Amino acid sequence: METAFKRLYLGHPAHLVVGLTLWSIWFVAVYGGLSVACAVAPPAPAQGAWTGLNLGLGLFSLLITALLAWLTWAGWKAGRELTGRPRFNALVSAGLYLFSALGVVFTGMPIIGVPPCL
Amino acid sequence: MTSINREATPQDPQQPEGAQTLHDDLHEIWGNPRGIKALTIVNHTTLGLRFMVTGMVFFVIGGVLSMLIRTQLATPDQNFMTPDIYSQVTTMHGTVMMFLFAIPILEGLAIYLIPKMIGARDLVCPRLTSLGYFCYLFGGIILSFSMVLEMAPDAGWFMYTPLSSSEYSPGLGSDFWLLGITFVEISALSAGVEIVVSILRTRTQGMALHKMPIFAWYILAMALMIVVGFPPLILGSVLLELERAVGMPFFEVAGGGDPLLWQHLFWLFGHPEVYIIFLPAAGIVSTLIPVFAGRPLVGYGWVVFAIVVTGFISFGLWVHHMFTVGIPQLAQAFFSAASMLVAIPTAIQVFVWLATLWLGKPRFKLPMLWILGFLIIFVCGGLTGVMLALVPFNWQVHDTHFVVAHMHYVLVGGMFFPLMAGLYYWLPLFSGRMPSETIGRWGFWLTFLGFNGTFLIMHWTGLLGMPRRIYTYEAGNGWEIFNLLSSISGFVMSAGIAMVLIDIALHFKFGKPAQHNPWKADTLEWANAMPPSAYNFVSLPKIDTRHPLWDNPDLPRTMAEGKHGLAVTSHGRREMWGTDSITGKVREIIHLPGNSWWPFFAALALAVVCVSLLTRVYALAGVFVIIAGVFLLRWSWENGAHPKAAPDAEVRKGDPPLHSRTMSGPGVWAMATFSIANGSFFLSYLFGWFYLWTVSPQWRMPEVSPLSLVVLVAAGVAMTLGAGVMERLVRGLRVNQDRGLARGFYMSALLGAAQVGLVLWSLLTAGLEPTRTSHDAVLLVGLVYALFHGALAMILSAMQGLRVRHGYVGLHAPFEPAVVVILWRYNVVTFWVLVGALGVLPRVIGG
Amino acid sequence: MIWWVMLSFATVVLVAVTALWLYTFKTRDVSRTPAQERRVARRWIVGGGIVLPVVTVIALLAFGVPTGKRMLTLPLDEPPEVIEVTGHQWWWEVRYPGAPNGVVVTSNQLIMPAGEPVDFHVTAADVIHGFWIPRLGGKIDMLPGRINRIRLEADEPGVFGAQCAELCGVGHAHMHLYVEALPREEFDAWLAARSEEALAELATSDPAFASARENFTTFCASCHRVAGVSAGTIGPDLSDLGGRTMLGAGTLAMEEGAVYQWLRHHQTLKPGNRMPQHDDLDTDTLSGLGDWLETLTP
Repeated sequence: METAFKRLYLGHPAHLVVGLTLWSIWFVAVYGGLSVACAVAPPAPAQGAWTGLNLGLGLFSLLITALLAWLTWAGWKAGRELTGRPRFNALVSAGLYLFSALGVVFTGMPIIGVPPCL
Repeated sequence: MTSINREATPQDPQQPEGAQTLHDDLHEIWGNPRGIKALTIVNHTTLGLRFMVTGMVFFVIGGVLSMLIRTQLATPDQNFMTPDIYSQVTTMHGTVMMFLFAIPILEGLAIYLIPKMIGARDLVCPRLTSLGYFCYLFGGIILSFSMVLEMAPDAGWFMYTPLSSSEYSPGLGSDFWLLGITFVEISALSAGVEIVVSILRTRTQGMALHKMPIFAWYILAMALMIVVGFPPLILGSVLLELERAVGMPFFEVAGGGDPLLWQHLFWLFGHPEVYIIFLPAAGIVSTLIPVFAGRPLVGYGWVVFAIVVTGFISFGLWVHHMFTVGIPQLAQAFFSAASMLVAIPTAIQVFVWLATLWLGKPRFKLPMLWILGFLIIFVCGGLTGVMLALVPFNWQVHDTHFVVAHMHYVLVGGMFFPLMAGLYYWLPLFSGRMPSETIGRWGFWLTFLGFNGTFLIMHWTGLLGMPRRIYTYEAGNGWEIFNLLSSISGFVMSAGIAMVLIDIALHFKFGKPAQHNPWKADTLEWANAMPPSAYNFVSLPKIDTRHPLWDNPDLPRTMAEGKHGLAVTSHGRREMWGTDSITGKVREIIHLPGNSWWPFFAALALAVVCVSLLTRVYALAGVFVIIAGVFLLRWSWENGAHPKAAPDAEVRKGDPPLHSRTMSGPGVWAMATFSIANGSFFLSYLFGWFYLWTVSPQWRMPEVSPLSLVVLVAAGVAMTLGAGVMERLVRGLRVNQDRGLARGFYMSALLGAAQVGLVLWSLLTAGLEPTRTSHDAVLLVGLVYALFHGALAMILSAMQGLRVRHGYVGLHAPFEPAVVVILWRYNVVTFWVLVGALGVLPRVIGG
Repeated sequence: MIWWVMLSFATVVLVAVTALWLYTFKTRDVSRTPAQERRVARRWIVGGGIVLPVVTVIALLAFGVPTGKRMLTLPLDEPPEVIEVTGHQWWWEVRYPGAPNGVVVTSNQLIMPAGEPVDFHVTAADVIHGFWIPRLGGKIDMLPGRINRIRLEADEPGVFGAQCAELCGVGHAHMHLYVEALPREEFDAWLAARSEEALAELATSDPAFASARENFTTFCASCHRVAGVSAGTIGPDLSDLGGRTMLGAGTLAMEEGAVYQWLRHHQTLKPGNRMPQHDDLDTDTLSGLGDWLETLTP
């Protein structure tokens, strides 16, 4: 974990954009994946929301959320130990990672209850 | 902690001997010519003003169009405008306001203010600013001219297909829109790229990223959003114009196209567009409130957070304009949730403003009146926006006047009111005089009350079921009284706006001369003379605080006395600092070009291209494309070590080198930023390809791909080898090695030519029928893209070889190859991705 | 209903924010340490900037998601009536594929059963149109090349207004749809009266209108269909024209002589519509056609 932290260097300003970039990639993957699956192999409407598609999208979302949550925690920890500019970067990035994680959860919630292709 | 000094620093009229000479010398180097030569001005102050004034002219035109609309809708069963003309008027009202007013005027404000706020003397590519202005002017004139001819576009300002395609809009209307808007977008894109690089690399010494004015963060986000968000529309416009002119069926169902593709491409641009409009306006609010509260903005970090979040999330909302097209509910739910998420960063900003006012001692001057108006109107608009994000509600009010009301609340409230606040605030800087208080207040109240009268009622009209874009309605619907009230209020609002414009016009003659820093502000733009000199600052200070003028009230005087950096004019160059993007440490001296005719003539050539495409005189268009290309390349010739730029690289002892003698100057950043825009265009293209392939209702794909994989791979190899040569050359330059430099450039150009030839060969032997199937049309566009980029890389490398021979590039000036190699890298990546997407994937997956 | 909740909430928020803003301008004599300032600031920012929108949004979704689900065309135990609507510039083609005596086709009127869910399958023949019956529910776009589906239910019988909801050209403002919901038995009777045989019988049985039928075949049949007489598909189906309440997609009320008015003046009434002017036909021909068409009342 320590080496992972060091290599990531969470005080770097690039982290300011990584969180939301991950959210964007997740969003495109989920929307794109859903559209392609519905065009190519839509599950039967009678299944409602209990389809393999929903399951797959949901698992993928959980994975990304976990990654973002871990990065939030890493950024928060790093921010506490740094000073000055890197501290600013790390703390604001941690906030952005947190927002991105919650963003994935919030935006992805419909996967639980809504049938995929109607 | 910042100490707040509320004493204004009097401008010292008695300059010491040395300072006056310095001013004269700087003026000679930076001064603006008069008469016809004013067309050569590249200075950001002048160009920023030009953008803003031209924007206001288009605003008035758009406003007149809106009054025509309200007049017609005031009473039922009206037809003083036939449905045909009415559709032209509504389409042009939206188009003019969105493309010819909102974006350019905010760009103009940014162009004017950013260098002054970050302690620079100009933007980083002044000739590009000028090109941007003329493209905007010519594009706007061409588009507006369509109204004179009664041939204006009439399919709505978002031009949905198939209504806007040649079958259902056979005249020139749609073409005016497609070509005119694309022309204007070149202007926006170039400004976007330039602003990004300027903010990141030309801040004055010591101004680290987290010390720069909050306005600069907003504008940085806006510029990056333009860079990523405009290319999808450019692609869409190119495709639709090809469909109309040549018959390539991208959006036509029978040919395998899909009208929804247009909607996706348009809204991929369209949604970020409204945030591109909102963010600078919010930046104005975040700048003015601390000044009028007399204390720093509470939660600078929070606001940065909010800006970054808004910038990203706004790209994930576009489908909320398409909730009724039949996309699966689950997908709609994603966009609905994301649309609600974006309320959070906006609310954060609102409460930061409130907290700042709460913790400060607010002064209620005229700009603050407009900000109060902004708050009320924008919050209202934001609330209806959150309602609209709810899908079932959206299904009721989509395409009704409710949406029209919402849109005007957020756009007028969120952009126009802050713009007026900013205008009144910075007016003393523009002109050196104060605006009037009385007329200003009258103007505000008429506008505010008139606006609310017009559009508040309109929510109700929409809920009663009145659709958009109907040229009239029957009596007896219950809509009459509300429309009449809206129309009357519309006239009140116009009166208010007229008063404001009159006030501004009059103040140039009758306004009280302004004291230095009349609002007691904290940011550097107020260290300028009022109105500013062409060179902004006599000397560039070292900054280590977010509030330079509060923490050091003496700063304007010491700057004017030449006590800080770059107060040198002996070399005759226009100079400013090039600094590290994060820390603000000085890295280079950036030398800037002086006045030039190239931007004007290049824009003129492009205007001829635009008009010839419009009138379908394709031969002429082809000729002038070449002429424009020649102009642009010839312009680029006058760079770096060229006699017209900076042939001698002498700097004072202790000063950093000129940027053209390093390998990491702003040009590298500009090329990289441009590559992001280019990449956005390419990704939109790939989206179009995969979209049509999977979802288009009557997609037809041949069993066997018409593209020869062998030829394409050979082309890719040639290009990769060429890029490899370029990389080797650049690496050599970094270690002071220039053996075989010119030869190397010619070699890579040759390899580039081989790639071009092979791609052309694969195109010619593919036997494509681009007017028959959208599949072939998409392939054609992709190959032409590869051809164009390959040819560009080839030409630029060849030119580098020539410049080595002329002595403009070499060990002493290694800058340009570092820029050109970025294009090669971009080309290699995109070409292989293209081969994979067009050539390999279909073979692997099948139709 | 949900609208009133949202409106009240929105009003409260707007008033509160405005009031707060104005309140901040009142002078206060409080001095604070930087640390206190930070705490106050954070309360404002987190409370207003994060908690408020999050609560609002969750509340909205709690109301909204169930409403949305009702309009999905999920399978039901009893398959609902399906009505196909196609948008043209600038008229509506309405088809009943499930009619017991063969497909029933009509134009510019939508009669539906009341008190049960009905599935609408909509598409367009040319440009994008918008299908919307405001009092019954949300709208859905009609796209060429695609079929979109929406489920609506009229709780009670009645007449509902409807109008095209997507700009579709110069006639967009004149593209109304007459919608009426009838009790199930009446709806079945309405359908039965419009079977192919019944309509053909209606159109051809009266010999008094033979010359009108001949004129129709010569001048109108290439675009318009009347059961038993012609098969044109470019313009609206006219087989039950006499029984309709409105003419020209809501342009004229149907009464005696209205069809003649339309035939003579349609370009003035609905400028730009795609029917040729027919100035070459004299008054007798036109009124003869009008009289005959007005008898097509099943």
